[in-house]
Amino acid sequence: MNFEFDLGFSVIAPIIVISALFVVRAKNLIHAVLWLGATLLGTAALYARLNAPFLAGVQVLTYVGGVVTLMIFGVMVTRRHEGIEAEASSEGSERGLIFAAAFFVLLSVVIWKTAPVIPNPAPIATSAQLARVLLDDYLIAFEALSLLLLAAIVGAVVLVRRKDPEAVTKLRQGSALPLVNEVES
Amino acid sequence: MTLTSCLILAGAVMAIGIYGLVTRKQAVAMLLSVELMANAANMVFAAYGHFRGGPSAQVFVLFALAITVAEVAVGLALVMLLYRRHGDTTVDLASEARQ
Amino acid sequence: MSPSNLAIIATLAPAVAALLLLIVAPLRHKGAPAAWVTLLGSLVSLGSAIMLLVGRLGGAADVRVTTPWIQEAGHSMAEIGVLIDGVSVPMLIIVCLVALCVQLFSVAYMHDEPPRAYGRYFTLHAMFLFSMNIVVVSPNLLQLFAGWELVGLTSYLLIGFYFAKPSAAQAAVKAFWMTKLADMGFLFGLLVLFVATGSFEWTSTPSTQVATWVTALLFVAVIGKSAQFPLHIWLPDAMEGPTPVSALLHAATMVAAGVFLVVRADPLFAQAPATREVMLWVGTTTAVFAAGLALVQKDIKKVLAFSTASQLGYMVAALGAGQAFAGFFHLGTHAFFKALLFLAAGSVIHAVHSNSLEDMGGLRKKMPLTTAAFVIGALSLAGVPGFAGFFSKDLVLSSLEGKGNWIPWTLLMGSAFLTAFYMGRVVIKAFWGNESEKSSHAHESGIAMTGPLMVLAIPSLASGFLGGWLASQVKAEYHVHLGLTPIVASSMAILGIVAAIVVFGRGGKAPFTGVLEKLDTFSLVDRTWAGGYRIGLLGIASVAGWVDRYLIDGLMNFTGWATLEGGASARKLQTGMVRDYALMVVVGVVVLVLIGVLR
Repeated sequence: MNFEFDLGFSVIAPIIVISALFVVRAKNLIHAVLWLGATLLGTAALYARLNAPFLAGVQVLTYVGGVVTLMIFGVMVTRRHEGIEAEASSEGSERGLIFAAAFFVLLSVVIWKTAPVIPNPAPIATSAQLARVLLDDYLIAFEALSLLLLAAIVGAVVLVRRKDPEAVTKLRQGSALPLVNEVES
Repeated sequence: MTLTSCLILAGAVMAIGIYGLVTRKQAVAMLLSVELMANAANMVFAAYGHFRGGPSAQVFVLFALAITVAEVAVGLALVMLLYRRHGDTTVDLASEARQ
Repeated sequence: MSPSNLAIIATLAPAVAALLLLIVAPLRHKGAPAAWVTLLGSLVSLGSAIMLLVGRLGGAADVRVTTPWIQEAGHSMAEIGVLIDGVSVPMLIIVCLVALCVQLFSVAYMHDEPPRAYGRYFTLHAMFLFSMNIVVVSPNLLQLFAGWELVGLTSYLLIGFYFAKPSAAQAAVKAFWMTKLADMGFLFGLLVLFVATGSFEWTSTPSTQVATWVTALLFVAVIGKSAQFPLHIWLPDAMEGPTPVSALLHAATMVAAGVFLVVRADPLFAQAPATREVMLWVGTTTAVFAAGLALVQKDIKKVLAFSTASQLGYMVAALGAGQAFAGFFHLGTHAFFKALLFLAAGSVIHAVHSNSLEDMGGLRKKMPLTTAAFVIGALSLAGVPGFAGFFSKDLVLSSLEGKGNWIPWTLLMGSAFLTAFYMGRVVIKAFWGNESEKSSHAHESGIAMTGPLMVLAIPSLASGFLGGWLASQVKAEYHVHLGLTPIVASSMAILGIVAAIVVFGRGGKAPFTGVLEKLDTFSLVDRTWAGGYRIGLLGIASVAGWVDRYLIDGLMNFTGWATLEGGASARKLQTGMVRDYALMVVVGVVVLVLIGVLR
């Protein structure tokens, strides 16, 4: 196995890993979300390096733009006290460490033993090609996916909706709300 | 950059995600870890797409991405409910399935 | 009706009676109906036996009817059926007649028992007769063994009839254990025979060595069943059972089964002279030893018990000398007069309410019929010329004469003297002399009891004359002759009686009484067996018990405990904490990957 020194990869990979580590170790929840954003950006860079520019773009749009924003909103809405940053403490890290490490070691062994060396990378796939494959070969999966997204949206809304009409009125009036939902949803 | 190194990178991120999932107490933090794991899986697909062949792998990445987004949406809705119930998003509070 | 059917009826009639009584409990519980059912069964048996006899008198041939019993791959390993020949028919008559007399006697004798016990008694009698008949008609050794074991069982149940009495219960267990120990000999003998010859027939011809082993093992069982030294001590203790039971089982039939076995298996024993030699000496020893102990017994039944052992010794000695017919003849006469003696003793006991000789005396005036019956029996036992016992005992002694067996001959003559002597003692103490306090209240028993006595007195007198006919049935030689043996034997008998009158008539004690009494009370044989039982059997049992309790039960308990503990521990995994479940998912994944890697 010969290691060609690949500048791009050797910059991107550490960024991804270190960001990921910070995601899981950050004490402050907002920081953790931001570190996730960094990880996702790093992944987008990796995609670009892997000759998948469309993928990189989509990654930035949906993940960094959508998911990270959603997470921040989630954190903000579920904070209890004003002024105190939401914290994300961890517990039982020894167990987790052992198993995660075991997992990593095993997976690396598997990969090492099975992944072959490929001499020639494939050519860049253009968006046109991608579109053709997506909408031609995998049309049914595409349609099903859109149904899934619809279901997810509707489901999320239904889950979160408040049934108590008083509460809805109070919401409109902007007053504080009781924490516990009186009527089970 | 070889396929092996990409895969090991993905494996590392996955392992980190696992560590986070098992260790964190806050629901949102666990969701972040799940995100990491999903991302790692996507990395594998993309790597194969580059080294082995064709756009099909990238299509899979797109699908996985969309599904992950849907999952995050529903997950956050559940976190909202958890917060409303207990006033705190510590996952241990959802532990009603006990002996 | 064909002979085989008659034999089957004779065997099964008591079984039907027993079955009926066992199933229909009210019959048993009411008491008296049980007696009727059993008597009816015995009557049918006797009737069938008589018809068989008539057939034989008319010159019918031997009949053997069998049907396969244990099959293996199409060919029969053992058979069950009936054998009707010159040995089984007379024996059948003897057994059924004595049984019927005893049962009739019991109707009155056991009258005071509560109805449930009374019913149980007669049920057991029916079971016994069935078992004994199986032994008598069996065509091979395996069926004989089956009947033998059943006889042992019913004997145990009857000895322990008064099970609430500790001494009776212990005596029953003792009899059971000792005979079962001896029966192991029978079992192993059967096994050796089968392995060597592939059948259970006594007509097979294995090599001398095998025959010696088989017969030796069979003889061990005979020692137990027929109360020979050193397994004789269960017999005196068996007197705890009701007196009619002692009359039937422990005088006439069950203990005779041992002798019957040897008579039947005579072809086999003929091939094993070594075993016969041992039998001769064991029989002689028992005859003398038991006669000596009979002299010092205070209980009338125990005298008769030791006497039985002694007479069985005579039969065994005859068989050991190779004269099966002599043994068989004595078996027959002895059955009659010993049963007579026991029943007469029963009549006395019933009148005096005590077994002890001290409580009897001068009864000849109060109970003339009983006295007459007892005296007839005693004279027959002593071997006074003209009585049945004389002829059979004479034949036994003659068989020893002149074949180099002078020592046994002499010893048995001495035992004949002792027999007359101790019987004289009993007769004088019980029926002559001064009345004791108890005997002064005695009165003759009713016809229900004296009837069977009179019936049994006839063959006790007359069966000696049937010797010639009996011999012809078994194709043996027999002629009464005037020679050394009959003269000496008769003299011994007469001397014994005279000596008894002289010694006991004046209320004295016999010589050597002190020694014999000490021998009797110390009872080395008894102690040895008791010690062996305690150390050997109970020792093994306690080890087995320990293994069962701690190892086997322990294993079960451990399994239970492990299951519960395992469950409790596994339950701890179900923490209900979401994070723990997440961890478990991860653990599962890791394990799966591990398996994949290792494979």
